[in-house]
Amino acid sequence: MILVPITYKGGVFRHDEILDLIEDVGGYIIQKHMIAQEVVLQALVPKEDIDTLKKVSRPLAGEVIPAPLVGTEIAVVSMSVEIHHLPHASCDIAEYLRTAGAKTNMIGLARGFGKRIGLLSDEERDIINEHDLAIYLFGNFETCIREKMPTFRRGIKVPIVICGGPSKDALKKIIDPPAAGYVGGMGRFMHRTKEPHEIALLDEIVAEVSRVIDQKRAMIAKDPLSVTPARLMDIILENVPDIHEVTSPVPVVVQMDGIRVKLPYDPFAREIREIEVEEGIRIADICDLHPSRMRDYILLKVKPFSETGMLV
Amino acid sequence: MSTLEYFEVESTEPAGGELYRRIASTVITDHNLLKVLERLRIFIDPAIPIFIAVGITRTMPRMITVSDLAGVTFDEHKITLSIADETYLADLLQFLWKKYGKDHVNQPDRFTIEIKTVGDAAESGIEDLAVADPSEGLYKDLIYSLQVICPEGYKVKKQNFNNGRFWFIASENTLPEDVTSLVAGQFEIMEAAP
Repeated sequence: MILVPITYKGGVFRHDEILDLIEDVGGYIIQKHMIAQEVVLQALVPKEDIDTLKKVSRPLAGEVIPAPLVGTEIAVVSMSVEIHHLPHASCDIAEYLRTAGAKTNMIGLARGFGKRIGLLSDEERDIINEHDLAIYLFGNFETCIREKMPTFRRGIKVPIVICGGPSKDALKKIIDPPAAGYVGGMGRFMHRTKEPHEIALLDEIVAEVSRVIDQKRAMIAKDPLSVTPARLMDIILENVPDIHEVTSPVPVVVQMDGIRVKLPYDPFAREIREIEVEEGIRIADICDLHPSRMRDYILLKVKPFSETGMLV
Repeated sequence: MSTLEYFEVESTEPAGGELYRRIASTVITDHNLLKVLERLRIFIDPAIPIFIAVGITRTMPRMITVSDLAGVTFDEHKITLSIADETYLADLLQFLWKKYGKDHVNQPDRFTIEIKTVGDAAESGIEDLAVADPSEGLYKDLIYSLQVICPEGYKVKKQNFNNGRFWFIASENTLPEDVTSLVAGQFEIMEAAP
């Protein structure tokens, strides 16, 4: 069964029918937002059932849009949290990626500014590595990007997409060894992105991130995960009642190869390890549980088929 | 940026310089400095690294006096101020409390201030007393906006503002003790331009 990431936008009226349909066909709802009279669902739906969903949503004035980044957690790394880098471009990019379905976290580095003095701490490096992909928002000068890049990629294991002021070709030329993706013309700026060419650049970022994510998906498909992270999310939501007490808008974040559970590690990790996914198979058999560096959340990374010998 | 007589951002990396021109333009507009600035030149060399901004301001606004913001009437030992512009009211009250003491300054309503004087009120010369200096805020705004324009890593800064001419210089490394020659070079280029 191939699951396709989609966004559903529609009214509150009878939206429970859409929720039921997605669950009945074997899909997963990753995020649900209720904004006034509007409902936005980010979901994974079996490819063959997309037409049925479109048919059912038509009389409800709902819209089914492909959202390539649903089920990914992306780190938008800003060089600092000063006025120089916030709110534009960091917020603009993070917000635009959310419209494509990604769960974005903004990471403002403590000492990221400057070409010689710029630093990446252990904690920052570990937090970035907990994501599926990192977008680095650099400045406008080639000299600075060339000099600071080695410091900022040290220890980073996730694919990096570079955004900077110089053109894409210039970025490719100055970054060695190559990064996973590049978007030029998107460096430091102090105004809101609203002009057509700026929106086109934001679209380019989504396209570049989607391309890199697809490459990662293809890599994972070669040695499939023992359980899909979306299913793991459903199991946690069913079996851990305390998760419904979490006030965070997304208590369980789906990643490409795992999930982040927003419950403290010490009291809940043991309970989660023992949950049965299917008869005789516990979460501990197919997942590695780690304490997250982000607050004290729990990070579950699903083991691949080659390691466990089972597909649940 | 049409109201500036001269506005130039030069960099050893022309593409980066062009992007910084847009940043400078946005920041200056956001801080309402367009009417104040006459000429501005920014030079950035990221290789050194150094950021130099030089400029000239238009005629500075003069000191605000009591008669600028209030109508003054005298009645033997009493001065009555009828406030016309509330912008500097807080400064005015602070000033009056300091000069006459809180016991002698009364504000019966929002727009009226009464002051009891010891001698003849008419001879107090209160109309011409200076209340606030708008150029002080302007200088802070100007330097703040240049700090925002300047790349964030350039933490070592020096600035000067004198007689309508200002300069701001910043770097990631230590700055030379005497930056006069660096600044003078940029002033020369700016003043030679039409």
